[in-house]
Amino acid sequence: MTLPHAETEAALIAKAQHGDRHAYGELVRQHHPGVVNVVYRLCGDAELAQDAAQDAFIQAWLHLPSFRPGTSLRNWLYRIAVNAALDVIRRNTKTANVSFDDLPLADSQTGPEDALLQKERARSVQHAILSLPEASRAVLVLREYGELSYQEISAALNIPLGTVMSRLHTARTQLKHLLESQLVHLEMEYA
Amino acid sequence: MPEHIIQWLGAYHDGELRGARLRQVENHLAECANCQAELEGMRSLSTLLQETAPEGDFLSSERFAANLALRLPRQPEMPQPRNKALEIGWWLIPLGTLATWLFIDVTFLLRSVILFVADAGLLGSNLAWLQGNPIQMEWFSTAMNLFGNQVGLAGQAALSGLNDAHLFVTHAAGSLLPQVLLAVLYLGWLAVWWLGQQAQMSQSTGSFSKS
Repeated sequence: MTLPHAETEAALIAKAQHGDRHAYGELVRQHHPGVVNVVYRLCGDAELAQDAAQDAFIQAWLHLPSFRPGTSLRNWLYRIAVNAALDVIRRNTKTANVSFDDLPLADSQTGPEDALLQKERARSVQHAILSLPEASRAVLVLREYGELSYQEISAALNIPLGTVMSRLHTARTQLKHLLESQLVHLEMEYA
Repeated sequence: MPEHIIQWLGAYHDGELRGARLRQVENHLAECANCQAELEGMRSLSTLLQETAPEGDFLSSERFAANLALRLPRQPEMPQPRNKALEIGWWLIPLGTLATWLFIDVTFLLRSVILFVADAGLLGSNLAWLQGNPIQMEWFSTAMNLFGNQVGLAGQAALSGLNDAHLFVTHAAGSLLPQVLLAVLYLGWLAVWWLGQQAQMSQSTGSFSKS
């Protein structure tokens, strides 16, 4: 349903470009879930993701006057968000150089088994994503969670289309390899 | 059996293939169990990635936007849109200056060549009006006719000096002055352009560098 007074994104952008904070707030509300999802998958930590999202939206606000109307705001925000997330990761040793072998073993003594299995599976997946090299991780996250096309990822990360394809292939192959053994192990543990 | 198409499976899975490549992959998948299994693994991985919910506490979009509003700094002013006509005019200045300079130079060169040929008598008497610069001004001829015998050698020398000076100024005004003015105009434009570039560079220092 469309609200009677709902403004189009283009109108909100035009207002925000002239310093209208309310219009920008509306844009933030619209794009917050997508941006947080992308930065969370890159950081692997809710708190860091909030910081990165905040940094990204502040950067976007500061550079909104140079945003070209008619292009995708979502893609532009994701591009800033990826950089903000990578900056946050580099500032925090907590997420730096994560190895899949560092994943803590599941504690099967607590909680209902199904819920716990889901949680452990989510942790394994997130940990596997974090263990990917930054370059491959950014491409994978923008594709799988940002749902950007190859062309959009290429523009967002400023890399050739062929590099997008090869990094995505590498990321998927590594993830599959990492997760296969880990998830089988989990299923057996909770069986 | 045709070659496997593993390298295209990711793009196929993501809906990025078109035309002949898409048909090639589809045809191959129809008869290759290995690639079908590979594609299925890719789909399962995507499903697994989508199904895993984020862990941790996240602010709602409303709350996040409210918090962010308190932290937003003052936004830099929007750059003024450029006037296209003025911009074109600005770039026409050096081009026009160079073109005019070139025109003047070529004209003088041609004039010199024609005068040389005319002086050699190769153009006949029809182009006598093209004969080179006069060696004396009209006032000098008149003065010499009227007073040449009365002013003596020193006076004649003085009149001759004045005549030479007049000839030089006339020649300079005819050829050098326009070129000097063009050079001043071009260098002035260049200086203004350079100052503009410097101002832009100092404004952009420390600005957004993320790509």
